[in-house]
Amino acid sequence: MSDRYMRHPDLRLADVEGDGVVLHLGTRRYFSVSESGLALLHALETPRTIEELVQVLLDRYEVSPEQAAASVRQFLETCRTAELLLEEGPR
Amino acid sequence: MTRSAIAVRCSDDEVRAALEEWLGGLRLAAPPGLALDVSIDAGPFAQLPDPVFEQPGVGFARGPNDRGIRISWSDFPADADIAGGARSAAVRLSPAAVAELDYCTRTFLLSVVIVLLRHVGWYHLHAATAIDPESRGWLVAGDAHAGKSTTAALLAAAGWQVGTDDIAFLEYRDDRVLVHTCHAPIALRDGGRRLLARAGGVALPDRGKTGFWPEDLGGVWTPLVLPEIVIFTTVGKDRTTAAAISRSAAVAELVRWSAWVILEPDLAQVHLDTLTRLTSQARCYRVTLGRDLFARPNRLIELVT
Repeated sequence: MSDRYMRHPDLRLADVEGDGVVLHLGTRRYFSVSESGLALLHALETPRTIEELVQVLLDRYEVSPEQAAASVRQFLETCRTAELLLEEGPR
Repeated sequence: MTRSAIAVRCSDDEVRAALEEWLGGLRLAAPPGLALDVSIDAGPFAQLPDPVFEQPGVGFARGPNDRGIRISWSDFPADADIAGGARSAAVRLSPAAVAELDYCTRTFLLSVVIVLLRHVGWYHLHAATAIDPESRGWLVAGDAHAGKSTTAALLAAAGWQVGTDDIAFLEYRDDRVLVHTCHAPIALRDGGRRLLARAGGVALPDRGKTGFWPEDLGGVWTPLVLPEIVIFTTVGKDRTTAAAISRSAAVAELVRWSAWVILEPDLAQVHLDTLTRLTSQARCYRVTLGRDLFARPNRLIELVT
């Protein structure tokens, strides 16, 4: 089974016409995110695998599975750096 | 004396009367049911273990399980506890704090009131408020050196209605964001006072400023503004300029100037939603304030309309 990811419980999200703002109550930092990034963060309210996150993008955008997978991996890496994620090992 | 919507309960009649006079003078039209329960206490007063937020002289720590807030004053011993969702604050003032009660109200107790008001859906924003001659509501947001007070004084002198130069409270009600203000003098540094060519005023020695009531400057004080225009200001040189910004950029700016959003996790989302709604209601701009405004304050209107 794959690793599962979940957004940090200290995050609060603001939807702002096509993109968004993420506020981290723990680190006291805030970030602007794209529409697709906001969609992924909404999905990450519950633990998700990379495959499930790729499906979130495929359901919303006309992109290839390869493009969606690359976007998800890049997004997760950015989130990891900014301490926006919790990670679970394989189950 | 105007009666405050925030009650004061204190066994010391002199302290209670002084605090009631201060709160009444703020003329805050806050929802009923809020109270300060004040006791005079020799201590001890413990240091905050892990402040989540600090401003000069005042620290804020979350209560157990991230609910509620403890506020501590470092200038003189005093603290306050506000339980999660509570409409009253348990305030302890040391005799030394009572001896500096006027200063205490402007720093520590004002912070207590700001946190208490969050519990009834009033969210503080560092912003000046005004209503222009065409009845449009304005917010001028920014830090302590962003020109908010000088702009507020300038607009008051130009006949605008002005609410506050810094202490604004956002409330989401009836599908719109309203901004409430308290009645407090516009606090000008010497530089702003010179540029406005204003003498007189009330000395605010602990802030190194001079206070002017909007009415003294030729304006009218307004307790309530429905913002149509939000500007985020910085001080420039000669010419005033304005550039429209995106809603997400505006939300990020509002978070910056409404830093209390991080205090209590239970309230953070609704606070953030209120800031976000404001950006759907108002047009938002970054404005560099120039000296040309002193000759033509209404140039601000020309730049954004």
